[in-house]
Amino acid sequence: MSARHTRFYLDKENKKWKGVCAGIADYTGVDVTIIRIGLVILTFVGGFPWTIIAYWVAAWLAPVKPRELASETPEQAKFWQGVRASPARTVRDVRSRFREIDRRLAEVETYVTSSNSRLAREIEQLR
Amino acid sequence: MEDIIIPIIVVPILFIGLPWLVFHYITRWKTAATLTGEDEKLMEELYDLARRLDDRMCSIERIMTAENPNWRAIACDPAATGIEDRTVATTAARRIGQ
Repeated sequence: MSARHTRFYLDKENKKWKGVCAGIADYTGVDVTIIRIGLVILTFVGGFPWTIIAYWVAAWLAPVKPRELASETPEQAKFWQGVRASPARTVRDVRSRFREIDRRLAEVETYVTSSNSRLAREIEQLR
Repeated sequence: MEDIIIPIIVVPILFIGLPWLVFHYITRWKTAATLTGEDEKLMEELYDLARRLDDRMCSIERIMTAENPNWRAIACDPAATGIEDRTVATTAARRIGQ
């Protein structure tokens, strides 16, 4: 079983303490600093024991990010963040990419076929 | 009187209504469409394929542009593709007719 892309992992590479905040940032695509500041503010505003308990539970339950997923390019990481956020939208994006390719290919095809017919006509005129 | 009515209302809410609510959302959550490993693999493949085709398209377009810088205009011009240039044919026919 290869590593799943749509799971929450602890990100040990960019960790400050246990890698939960870095993991959330990696999962959602939100900047890690914003998540850390948000967590600290939430702790001070009133979630005092609960944020820390949630952090510990997450650190305890979540698996560490597998090595084969660590080598993904920024573009791939962005793609998978989109998949996690909304698979349907990502499917639509991929479909629109295919349509775009189809359109461009049709343009090339039109040119190639039309230039062939032009060439044939020019040869016809030379006779 | 109140001592009887309040437990009669509160106990069903606590022991029936609340678990009902919780299980209702649990079942909703369980039946919600999730990506399986297969879906994920398919998605990755399609994405890669789209990217590769995109690259190929780019290189082909580059080659076409190097060959003929205004190929796009020719491809889009209906006079060059759909409608034939009949002027040559008609003059030839007129010449035969004379």
